[in-house]
Amino acid sequence: MEVLVAWAPLLLDALSFVLVLALVALGLVVIFGLLGVINLAHGELLMLGGYTVVVAMGWGAPFWLAVAIAPLVAGVVGAVVELVLIRRLAARPLDTILATWGLAIVLQQAVTLAFGPRSRSVVAPTDTSALVAGISYPAYRLQLMAVAAVVLVGTMTWLARSGAGLRARAAIADPAMAAALGVNVGLVRLQCFALGAALAGLAGALLAPIVSVDPHMGFGFLVPAFLAILVGGSATVAGVLGGAGVIGGADSLLGHWVSPVLAQIVVFVVAILAIRLRSGRTTRF
Amino acid sequence: MLEIRDLYAGYGQSMVLQGVSIGIARGTVTALLGRNGMGKTTLCRVLMGLLPVSGGTITLDNNDISRAPPHRLARMGIGYVPQGRGIFGDFTVQENLALGLSARGGRVPAHIHEWFPMFAEWRRRKAGTLSGGEQAMLALARALVSGPRLLILDEPSEGLQPSRVSEIGDLLRRIVADKHVTVFLVEQNLELVRRVASIAAFLVDGAIAGGAAARELSPRSGVIHRHLGL
Repeated sequence: MEVLVAWAPLLLDALSFVLVLALVALGLVVIFGLLGVINLAHGELLMLGGYTVVVAMGWGAPFWLAVAIAPLVAGVVGAVVELVLIRRLAARPLDTILATWGLAIVLQQAVTLAFGPRSRSVVAPTDTSALVAGISYPAYRLQLMAVAAVVLVGTMTWLARSGAGLRARAAIADPAMAAALGVNVGLVRLQCFALGAALAGLAGALLAPIVSVDPHMGFGFLVPAFLAILVGGSATVAGVLGGAGVIGGADSLLGHWVSPVLAQIVVFVVAILAIRLRSGRTTRF
Repeated sequence: MLEIRDLYAGYGQSMVLQGVSIGIARGTVTALLGRNGMGKTTLCRVLMGLLPVSGGTITLDNNDISRAPPHRLARMGIGYVPQGRGIFGDFTVQENLALGLSARGGRVPAHIHEWFPMFAEWRRRKAGTLSGGEQAMLALARALVSGPRLLILDEPSEGLQPSRVSEIGDLLRRIVADKHVTVFLVEQNLELVRRVASIAAFLVDGAIAGGAAARELSPRSGVIHRHLGL
C-alpha cells in the first residue's frame, strides 16, 4: 500500500501523458492512414489548440468552452490545409513531407508574429485536489485524463461502428473500390485530415494549463507521437494506444526514476528495435 | 442506355483504348470478349470513372458521364464488380454489403437476402475468410444492394470452379429477369456468356472488332477463332 501511495502520483502523471500522446498519435495515424501524409505540421496544430484557449479565455470564455473551441479551430485549419496544400500534392508523398515541414515553420512564425515569442500560461479550471488511491492528486489532471479517454474511445467507436467510420476505413483500405461504391473519397480525406487536426488541437487545449503555451510547444509531442506509431504500428488503433503507452510511459517513468536524458535514449532504442522487428504493415483500423 | 463513342484512354503515354464505340440497350446483357491485354479491364475502369477519358464520350441515358467521378457514377446507378472482386477482406460480410449502400443509403433490400440467402448467416464473418466463389457472390451482392440500373462485371467467373460459374450464371439471369438491370459483362468464359448474354462484342487491340448473337458463340465458330484466336 505504501509503495502504491508513493508511486501513484508518478503513475498518474505518466497516464495523463500517455493519454494526451495517444490523442496526438491517433490524429497522426488517421491522417497517415488515409492520405499517406506524414504530417510534420501536426505539432503546430497542437500548438494552435493551446493558443485558441489563450485567446478564447482572453475574450472571457470559460476554460471548458475554450477547450471545446480549440479542436474546431484546428479542424478548420486542417481542412483548409488539406484543400489548399495536401490535395494538390496527393501523388507526391515525399513532397508532402517537405510541404508540411514548411507549413510548420509558417505556423510557428505566424503565431510568433501575432503573440510574440514568450510563453503564455493558462489557469486551470480548478486548483483543487481529489483523493485517488489514498493520495491527493490535482483534480484538473484527472479531468484531462477523463476527457482524453472519452475522446479516444469515442473516436475509436466512430471508426469501428459508424457508417462514416466504415466509409473512412474503406477509403483507407482501397480508395478506388470505395469510390466505385459511392464513397466520396475526396470528402472523406478532407474530413479525416480535419479530424486528425482536431485531435491535435484538443490535445494542445488540454495541455495548456499544465505546460507553457509557446510557438514551439508542439514539437515536444510530435517526436514522441511518431515514436509511438513506430512502436505500436499504424495498423490498428489498439497498436497506436499501445505505442503511446510504451513511449509515454517509458519517457515519464524513466525520466523521473533515472534521468530525462537516459529516458530519451531508452525511448529511441525501443523505437529502433520496434522498427527492426516489425514487418511493414499498412494501416487497417 | 449506355453509349460509348470513339473512346480513347490509357495509362500515361500508353493509349490502351483506341476509339471504342459500342451501345448497350436497356435491360440487355451485353458481353465483351477479348484476349488478355486487349483493354477490357481498362474499359471497365474508364466506365466507372477510375481512369480518365483521353478522347471520345460516354453517355448514360443521354447524360454525358465522360468526366464524372466514380462516386457520382455509383450514385447515378452504376454498379461495379471489378476484376479480382475488390472485396474488403478485413471487413465483415455485413460491412461489405453496407459499403454497397454508400451510393444511396438505406438498408439492404429484401430481394438481396432472397438472392443471396447465405449472407444472413455469414454477416459477422470476415470477408477475407470466404472462398473465392463466396467472395464473387459477395461482390455481386454488394454491387446490387444500391439497386443499380447498369451493372458492370469484370470477369466474375475468373478462378472459379464450373459449378460456381453456373450458379453465378443462374443468378444473373434471375437478377435481369426480376429487376431489368442492364448488364455489361466482360468475360472470357464462353459458356457463361452464352447462358446470360444476348449480344457479344469483341475487343481487339483497344477497339471493337465485331459482334455476334451470344447464343451463336461456340469455341469452333469462325468469329471466335478470328477474334480470340481459339
